Parts: sequence; C-alpha cells; structure tokens
Amino acid sequence: MKKLLGLVLAVAALSAPLFANGSQDSAASAEKKPVTLTLWTHEDPNRQKMEEQFAAEYMAQNPHVTIKYSVFPSTKIQDLISSAYAAKNAPSIWNLELQKAYPLYTAGLVAPIPVQALGFKNEQALIDTYLPGMLDPVTDKDGKLFGKKGKIYGLPLEMVNFCIYLNKKIFRDAGLDPDKDYPKTWEDVMAVSEKIVKRNGDIITRRGFDFRYGDYLISWVPMVEQLGGKVVSDDGKEAIVNTQAWIKALQFMQDWGPNGKNLGGPTYPVARKVFDNNKDEIAMHLSGLYQEARMKTSNPDFYNSKDWMVIPYPVFKGGKDIANTYYFQYYMVNSQIPENEQVEAWKFVAYMLSHGDMYLEKVALTQPTKKVFEGEVFKSMPYSNVFYNDLKRAHVVYHSSFSWRVNELIKEAIENVMMNKVAPADAVAKLKKDVQALVDENR
Amino acid sequence: MNTERKGKKRRGVEQVQARWGWYFVIPAIVFFSIFSFYPIINAFTLSFFKKNMISPIPPRFIGLENYIYVLQSSDFWNSVRATLTFTLGTFIPLVIASLVIALLITLQGRNFRLWQLLYYSPAVLSSAVAALIWMLIFTPTGIANQFVNTLRNTSGMDMRWLSSGEMVQISTMIVYFWKYIGYFTVLYITGITKIPAVIYEAATIDGASRSQAFFKITLPLLKPTTALVSIVAMLQCLKTFSTQFLFTQSGAPKAPINVITLNIYNTALKDYNVGRASVMSILLFVTMLILTIIQLKVSRSDDVTY
Repeated sequence: MKKLLGLVLAVAALSAPLFANGSQDSAASAEKKPVTLTLWTHEDPNRQKMEEQFAAEYMAQNPHVTIKYSVFPSTKIQDLISSAYAAKNAPSIWNLELQKAYPLYTAGLVAPIPVQALGFKNEQALIDTYLPGMLDPVTDKDGKLFGKKGKIYGLPLEMVNFCIYLNKKIFRDAGLDPDKDYPKTWEDVMAVSEKIVKRNGDIITRRGFDFRYGDYLISWVPMVEQLGGKVVSDDGKEAIVNTQAWIKALQFMQDWGPNGKNLGGPTYPVARKVFDNNKDEIAMHLSGLYQEARMKTSNPDFYNSKDWMVIPYPVFKGGKDIANTYYFQYYMVNSQIPENEQVEAWKFVAYMLSHGDMYLEKVALTQPTKKVFEGEVFKSMPYSNVFYNDLKRAHVVYHSSFSWRVNELIKEAIENVMMNKVAPADAVAKLKKDVQALVDENR
Repeated sequence: MNTERKGKKRRGVEQVQARWGWYFVIPAIVFFSIFSFYPIINAFTLSFFKKNMISPIPPRFIGLENYIYVLQSSDFWNSVRATLTFTLGTFIPLVIASLVIALLITLQGRNFRLWQLLYYSPAVLSSAVAALIWMLIFTPTGIANQFVNTLRNTSGMDMRWLSSGEMVQISTMIVYFWKYIGYFTVLYITGITKIPAVIYEAATIDGASRSQAFFKITLPLLKPTTALVSIVAMLQCLKTFSTQFLFTQSGAPKAPINVITLNIYNTALKDYNVGRASVMSILLFVTMLILTIIQLKVSRSDDVTY
C-alpha cells in the first residue's frame, strides 16, 4: 500500500510541471483567443484611409484580433455612441470631442489605460510623453471619480485650437493690406468685414468673416471670457458668471447677424468649406491646423498658392488676452467589454497613435506629444507657429458631465438674439436660469 | 337531425376559419407587441423614474416629479405651441389641397396615371432626403429666394426661410406639404373613383349642376375617405421630426420649430434624461389617442352607404 502511495505521489510530483506547463499553455491560448474590436469614429476620408491601413497592419501582426472600423457623420456620432451605451452595445473603441465625451467618461463608461501592457512603467511615464496638462481632463488624479487614483482614461487623437484663416486676395480686392490690416480685435473683425462684404440686396454674396456656428463652447465662449465672463464659477456653484460680459458678447452676435449689420449667419454655407473653394465667397473663418490638410485635398492650387495665411484669435478691445480654447478628440475604450478586449483595444489605439508624424503629415492632426510638437514635420507646416503661440494664451474647453447640454443652451441663446430678435439681456437671463438648473441638478 | 348536423358543420367551418384568422393575425400582434406595446408600457413605467440614459446606476422611483417638471417647463409648452402650429398649418391645407387636386385629376381623365405618379413621387423619398433637398432650396442664395424675387420682380430680397423665427415654421410646413400631398391625393382619388357613376347620372337627369353634384354627392360620399385622410394627416403632423431635426442641425433657430418629438429626442439623447423624455412621449401618445377617438366617433356618426 505504502509502495502504491509512493508511486502515486512520485507520478504526481513528476507530472506537476507538466500540468503547470499545460496551464501556462492554456493561459497563453486564452490570451490569444479571438478578439473582435469595433471602432466608431467621425468621418474624415484621409484619416479613415490611414487608420484602416493601421488596422490591417495590426491584424496581420496579431492574427487573433479582428478590427471592424466604422465611420459616421460628425453630427450624428455623439447620439449614436450614447444610444449604443444605453443599449449596452457600444463599440470597443470610439472618439469624441472632450466636451461630448466627458459625460460618458464621468458615467464610468470608459476603461482605464493598462499602462504596463502598453510598455510604460507607470501612468507618469505615459504623461511625460505628452505636453503638460494634456491628459489632465481624462485623469482621475485624486481617485474621487472612480476610486482609482492617477488612472488615465483617454489618449488624444488630436489637440485642436482655432485661429483665423485669411484669404489675402479678397483682402487686396477690398483695398486692404492683409499683412497690416488683418484684424487684431473683434471690433476690427466687424469693421474689416463691413469693408469686404458684398450683397445682392439683403443676400450676402461675399462674407468678410463668419463664425463656427454650433461649436460655441470652443469658439465663442472665449469671447465671453475675454470680457470677464465664465460658464461656471470656480467653486462650481454659479452658472453664467458676470452676465454683463455675456450680454456684451451676445450683443456682438446680434449686431453681426441678419437683424444687425447682416455680415453672416448660421444659415449660410459653412464658412470653412467655402473658404477652401477660394471662389470669392469668404475672406476669413475659424479653424484648426487640420484645415490645412482638408484645403490641400479639396483645392491643392489654393493650398500651394501664397494667397492665404493664418492669424491669431482676436481679442475684444480692452479685454483679457485669451485665445481660442483648445479641445481634444480622445480615443476611449468601452468599459463594458471584457477586460482582455479592453487591453487589446488600448494596445491597438496605442499602435495607431504611435504614428504621430503620419497623422500630422497626412491629415494635419496634432497629437499633443512632445515628440510631435518638437518634430520637424510640425515646425515645417505653414503657420503652425501661429497655432502654437495662440496655445500659450489659451486654456482647455469647458467640460463637465453636462457640458454638451450647456453648449446647446448657448446655441439657443445665440440663435434667439441673431434670428428671433430676442434682446441679449433677456437671452442671458434665460440662459442663466437654465444653466443654473443644470448646475444645481448635477451638484 | 339534418339541420342539427348542418349547423354543427357550419360551426366547424367557422371555427376552422377563426383559427386560421388567428394564425394570420398572430405575427402582426407579436410585431406590434414588441415594437409598439412594449415601448409604450416601458415609457409609461420610466416616466415615474429618474433615469440617466447612459448611467449604469439603476433608475430611482420619483413618483410624479417628472410630470410636474415637464408640465411646469416653458420649453415643453413652447413645444406644444410649435407642434400645434405645425399640425394646424399643415394638416388643414393638406386635406383641402389633396381633395382639390384629386378632383382635378379625376375630372381631367387624360394622363390620369401620369399625374398620380408625379404627385406621389415625393412620398417615396425619405423625410431626411426631402429636408436636405429643401434646405438647399431655402439657403439665402437658393432657388426659393430667386423664385420669390422673380415673382415679385425684385432683386436680392431675402425671405429668410431658415433664419427668421416665423419663416422657418412656414418652411417646415412647405416641406411636409410637398412630401405628403401626393399620398393623400391618391387616397382621395381612390375614394372618388369608388363612387358609382349612376348616382351622378341620376343627378344629371334631375338637373343638378356640377357644383351641386360636388357638394351634395361627392363631398358627403367621400366622408370615410376624408376621415381616413384627416386622421392619418393629423397623426403624421403630430409625429413630425426629421425636417425640424435637420433644419436645426443646419443653423435654423430651434425654439420656433422645437416640436414635441424633437424635444423628446434632445431630452433623451442630449440631456440623457429618459424619465422626462418618457413623460413627453406619454403625453403625446395620449393626445394622439384622444384626437383619433374623437375623429373616429365623428366620422362614424353618419356612415356612408351606396
């Protein structure tokens, strides 16, 4: 009996490593079990081509991974992602602007980055590869949000700040010298536009400048801030701080619109698209560095000409020196998918974003990494220094768990003063009441 | 004995027919249960809860709070105003114009099918495509302004189809009218052609004029068609969404055309407040139900028989 027991123990002892190896093998095969990742992003034909190529390369290197890349109109993707989350069927990877992504992030729907799996020693090592503060909006610094101190939840596909693109030919045609007469203040923007504008009766056929209607938190709120206003006070209790600043900024919009000096408006064709056509339709518009790639694709002759330039974001006379806010398109990973898929998804995102120079060169998307900003490609891009210098006097766009709703309320206020003849003071009173209700509800 | 057997046989046939009737109806019942009844019941339940659409936190029962909030909200009452304005401004002209066009087409006789096809063609377009087409027409440099300027012999007059609070409401009505006029015209044509010719012949022999024939024969005998057209048109108008959604996405002011369905969409997908969105859905549903019942009762009070 003793012999038999001894034999069993010996066999067991000898075969243990075999089983251990077996379990290691099975763990390895579990790691390599097929993974399907879905990626939803907004339309950008040049980027799509490049990222689909990255996906193909990644799948070739990792045969167990299948990546389904889908593109949606930028006006619809936010609603689609929210609905997909509600149905617990959200994509593995997606990207949105910070102010649109933030509510999803604060709702705990985004997975933290497994930094070690991406080859970093810790979170700080990853942060150090970016310009200062670039990952702050998606870092749970003190662990108050999710109890995971220092974890990072997004990687920026791009960081954007808007400056003004200017058509020199139209300036000259209006008797202006673009190098001297370009607008430095918002008052100049209006005055210059009055000189450039052409109309057939009431209908504008050539605009001097026009706004980016819709993206108000990014492109219009800085005007309010220059006048001393704020969306929400620093202690997070008061909404629409300094109503006089808001009234003045809204008065500017009313004067700008069809019921004022009739210099432009939200129902005219989108300014940045007609600018690229270079058909004497608009002299100035607001956009990011990425617009250069779009211009290069849609109208290479104009892009290669010396007929355009980029100027800094204007400031109200006597106002604070604040440039256009910067915002991010963050790639994020769905926290509702299994953990092994989350890791694989982050690995793929990191793989795509490791091509920072390609993103810049081919689609003019600026990843806010030190490598990209210090690289030759960035420095060689036309007017990249204008964008870079404006960045120094800018801050990140307002973001909160209800930031997109705030944007919609500001949109309503601007539409009311520009098109419905509502007095700016009345529009601000309603805006303050509505945003305050949101602040109180979410505190 | 024989009669008893015959009666049993008839009952047996009726039972078999009834059973087959159920087989045919069941798919429709299942379909409606999943896609209509369940969402209605679900929305009704959710209307009593505080529920963030994207949050994993379970919904919290809050009783009538959502109803109180919505009924006290000026935005909701603005949506009621926008919906009623749109419905009245679209549904009444639609019913009258489709009847008139149907009469003209049937009276014309020649190219009957061609006219039907021409009027009906916009109905096959999706609402989104129709709105996109009209958005281009309504831009300041678009055809709509050119057309008005030509008619009025003016130059450069901007009707502000999309940028004025009043005009944008009319613009949405025009899109809807254009899209659905053909559909309702076809319904009226069907109704008119079903009226037996002998009635008109008898009236002609009795010396009735054309207008008398229309008011004393056509119009009364078209009552079921008119009821159908008005109910369908009214419900369609109350549910309008795509045109207003696309117009507001393209720069048109939201407040004047913020119809209830658009408010529901934004409350759910922008505010993530499913409870309040459900309240508005239920209120709209109840309104539509009541209006349909009233119209059905009115139309049944004097049924038409030939």
